[in-house]
Amino acid sequence: MSRVLVRKGLRHLGAALITLWLAVTMAFALGRLSGDPTSNILGPMATPEQRDALQAQLGLDQSLVVQYLDYLKGIVTLDFGTSLQFYQPNLDMILDRLPFTLQLVGAGMAIAVAIGVPLGVLAATREGTWWDRTASALALLGQSVPVFWLGMMLILLFAVRLGWLPAGQSGSWQHLVLPAVTMSLYPMAHVARLTRASMSEVLREPYIDSARARGLRVRSVVWRHGFGNASAPVLTIVVLQAGALLSGAVAVEYVYSWPGLGQLALQAIQFRDFPLVQAIVVFGAITFVVLNQLVDMLHVAIDPRLR
Amino acid sequence: MARGEALLELRSLTITASVADRQLLLLRDVELEVRAGEVVGVVGESGSGKTTLARSVVGLLERNVQVATGRIELVGEVLVGPGTDLTHTARGRSVGMVFQDASRSLNPLMRVRRHLSEVLERHVDGIGRDEVRARSTEVLRRMRIDDPDRVLDSYPHQLSGGLRQRVAIALAVVTNPALVIADECTTALDVTTQAEVVALFRELVDELHIGLLFVTHDLMLASDLCDRIAVMSQGEVVEVGPTDQVLRHPTVDYTRRLLAAVPHWTEGASATHA
Repeated sequence: MSRVLVRKGLRHLGAALITLWLAVTMAFALGRLSGDPTSNILGPMATPEQRDALQAQLGLDQSLVVQYLDYLKGIVTLDFGTSLQFYQPNLDMILDRLPFTLQLVGAGMAIAVAIGVPLGVLAATREGTWWDRTASALALLGQSVPVFWLGMMLILLFAVRLGWLPAGQSGSWQHLVLPAVTMSLYPMAHVARLTRASMSEVLREPYIDSARARGLRVRSVVWRHGFGNASAPVLTIVVLQAGALLSGAVAVEYVYSWPGLGQLALQAIQFRDFPLVQAIVVFGAITFVVLNQLVDMLHVAIDPRLR
Repeated sequence: MARGEALLELRSLTITASVADRQLLLLRDVELEVRAGEVVGVVGESGSGKTTLARSVVGLLERNVQVATGRIELVGEVLVGPGTDLTHTARGRSVGMVFQDASRSLNPLMRVRRHLSEVLERHVDGIGRDEVRARSTEVLRRMRIDDPDRVLDSYPHQLSGGLRQRVAIALAVVTNPALVIADECTTALDVTTQAEVVALFRELVDELHIGLLFVTHDLMLASDLCDRIAVMSQGEVVEVGPTDQVLRHPTVDYTRRLLAAVPHWTEGASATHA
């Protein structure tokens, strides 16, 4: 039994490492495809000598293979290089920005789950009724509204018109409200739709009927027996959405000038700061792979049939 | 509960389903009673209304299905009648139900122990942890399960089909209900396990004096277990009487056709329970 688990774990780890390697390699390749960064840094007036000097300094005069191996070695030793525009270690900058993004994603996903799950459960338990149709329409709307538009509308209403909340930047919980709400809408809608679909399937299972026949409270039947069994896909989507948002909350962070990773990524891309872009991509890939593993482990913890 | 007392009474029970703008008759004027210590079989083809009948007693009808007229009484009290539906108070407390697909009638994420404690804690006021434990073990023993502790600590998927069905029955009887309803609960089992479950039901009925409403399409099985049999066709009870009489001397053509459809059925060959 435990040996099976160990073997399973090793196989997972192997798959995770291969995924990581592919992501890391992709980040390297895309960085090289985006052109020569030296002209960007030095400007149009630079002489070829200056350019050669900078290329040598950045290691760009080496062959691609050598560059690639250096890059891999850096990642393994947790050296993610130095930013071309900030002259700081990329890792330090990422770690500086990370708490802000974590706050934002954490708050956003918490709102998404707190509203999306009950909404989906409500719709599933009242399938085909007015409740269901309203909830489903709301979810569809939530998935269709563009984040940047919603962000600006919320700023106009709550910051400009009503003056209740700050329009951007960070510093207090009030600063967090609008960006978190903006960010939560899409995952909330996703979670609601998925919860509804998964629940309405589970509610047709014979064990739901028998739980009802045993006279259990509606609450126990719906949540313990129903949602308990419907939660796996919801959990997956919540964790993976969170992972995607950790390095991909660009629009929200931009609209609200939120000093997180998304902002940093945007600045890096605009400046063709390829070491920083690479570092952020690699960081995102690692996060994603780790979260994926976490989801698998959570599934095993929830469902005894997977053990 | 004294033997012979009417536990469950269905009185001119008519149940309809609303489909589009029409009302479909699912049950028409059904009269049936189950006494304490008695097994009443409900037989008939699929679609004859057996399951509707069984589910109406525990209030588990589909949303578009309703009791149109008539009433259901349980131990002399109106359970379902005009403007009354108390099925939610009876479910799991005075009526236990065992379903068709036992292997899927247990929550796959919960151990057997949790299933039992959940029902006991819901229906036995002020029950303590020790008593939950004791009664869980006891009810599994009663189900002829030799190693109750192992079964209690198992998840449903770790048990055989037969064991799962015993656990399902245990869940239905652990609160000492007056009546148990079994809806095709042996269909998914192999013949040997079926026989064991039938023997177990007989034992429970004889020892605990519960009433058992046994819904099945299997006439052989019904003849082995039931004291009386009600034959259903198109939502009506077309014939009801002692098992021997109904199976040996059927009075309606429909029953004869049902009997003729059973392979190797020779009149008088079965129906050993007099």
